[in-house]
Amino acid sequence: MLVTEVKKMTQAVIETTNLLKEYRGRAAVEHLNLNIGKGEIYGFLGPNGAGKTTTIRMLLGLIKPTSGSIKIFGQDLKRNKLQILRKVGSLVESPSYYGHLSALDNLEAIRRILNVPKSRIAEVLDIVSLTGEEKRPVKGFSLGMKQRLGIAAALLGSPELLILDEPTNGLDPSGIQEIRSLIKRLPVEEGITVLVSSHLLSEIEQMAGTVGIIRSGRMVYQDTIAHLQQQAAGDLRLAVSEPEEALILANRRGCGGTLQEGRITLPRMSDVRVALLIKELVENGHAIYRVEEHRQSLEEFFLQVVEGGQSV
Amino acid sequence: MMWRSLSADWLKIRGKGLWFLVFLGPVGLLAMQGLNFGMRYDYLTGQYQSDLWGGLLSNLADFVPVALYLGGTLVCSLLANVEHQMSSWKQLLALPISRTSVFMAKLLICLLLVAVSCALLSAGTVALGLLLGFGTQPVPYADVLRIGFASYAAALPVIALQLWLSLSSRNQTLPVSLGLILSLLSLFSTFLSEWVPLSWPALAWSTSRPWLFSGAGLLLGLLVLLPGAVHFARKDVN
Repeated sequence: MLVTEVKKMTQAVIETTNLLKEYRGRAAVEHLNLNIGKGEIYGFLGPNGAGKTTTIRMLLGLIKPTSGSIKIFGQDLKRNKLQILRKVGSLVESPSYYGHLSALDNLEAIRRILNVPKSRIAEVLDIVSLTGEEKRPVKGFSLGMKQRLGIAAALLGSPELLILDEPTNGLDPSGIQEIRSLIKRLPVEEGITVLVSSHLLSEIEQMAGTVGIIRSGRMVYQDTIAHLQQQAAGDLRLAVSEPEEALILANRRGCGGTLQEGRITLPRMSDVRVALLIKELVENGHAIYRVEEHRQSLEEFFLQVVEGGQSV
Repeated sequence: MMWRSLSADWLKIRGKGLWFLVFLGPVGLLAMQGLNFGMRYDYLTGQYQSDLWGGLLSNLADFVPVALYLGGTLVCSLLANVEHQMSSWKQLLALPISRTSVFMAKLLICLLLVAVSCALLSAGTVALGLLLGFGTQPVPYADVLRIGFASYAAALPVIALQLWLSLSSRNQTLPVSLGLILSLLSLFSTFLSEWVPLSWPALAWSTSRPWLFSGAGLLLGLLVLLPGAVHFARKDVN
């Protein structure tokens, strides 16, 4: 509740309303309402094929929505596409590059279209730590370097909004680490709003402040990471001397527990109720060995959400 | 805005075999005639005694349409491939530049490259003629220019179509095979009606009203461009 209010106060950089994209009658994205605030790192999460790339392509004007509207910087994308794109940098899926050209020429080709000063090329090369490699043909670059070049290209026009689709896909751990710290730096140092998509929660968790989870083209969750972590808080596990009898007792109090691997599993409940239940168990002669809170990992929670096992 | 796109394209076509192709076309045609006249020099110079340059040009002209179609097809395909290869469309078209500018820049580069080929053919023809010792007769500069450029204008409908098809899909099988078929068909254009645009490049050289066919080519070329540009501006980039 609080989060929504805070968001409304800061200006929304991206706002989509009932976005729908159909391919031959099948909806790839439907009823999508994205809301991304200024200066945020927004994690766009979902399994492969959920509609992340389709959404991102719509945000960049690469494909047209079947219906619904997209507002970026408060302007309608359909009407003010070029003004909006002037302030947006993007990297969509696999890196795009001209393999026969050097990194320098790749950036120069984009610079000529953006019409920014030549000095900007050296600046972005420096940001992605490719300085010294710029004269080599890009086809000889490692995937990580190509990806960094892609980010350099996205930064060339000094964008206010950076849209990165799976920027760490296919990178090795150190490459992922590099890109991640780069992305985290941008909002702080340059005041850029970042939309970053991934199919890995662990990725997003370490970068983003807000997440949107998409499943089969529909947004199933959109809130802060902190809220997501709260949601993922788990159940209570009890190890007692006579589990069967103890479970009957607990369920008579309306706890709704089950027996798993000889332990009683109870859904999340208040501290007071936990205390009362323990007291009663002890009074009834049960020996209590362990009382544990089993925190569901965020990853498990995410899987539940994307598999449709839980609606949030 | 188109000039910015054009200057970016200018950079991108380096080292992609486009310039090689531009030189290969005219050099190939001239080498063929060099061989033709070199091997049967006495016979041919005897036959064309009164108009040596005309003889050279008419021999050359038989192969200009097929070279234009073939060259146009390959230039369009190679040009489109620069973007298709590493799916750079998604990067290029997410930049603040209109799709129409991007399309027009590609068109201009393509037309420019073929024009360089035609200019090289004209210059090379003069050089070859002089080499064969035709310098005794005055060089017919108007005809020398006409041999490439008149047919070029008449070939524009096919070149515009090829550009559209090549830019449309990553898969270049359709545009390249269609281009090959059209090129081969154009060799038999004497059997085609003058209403078939495929025969226009040949007619733009051989008939008594060559400008009619060049003009028709220009016009139809523009007409083919229109749906191509509109489609390019509207299509989804996947």
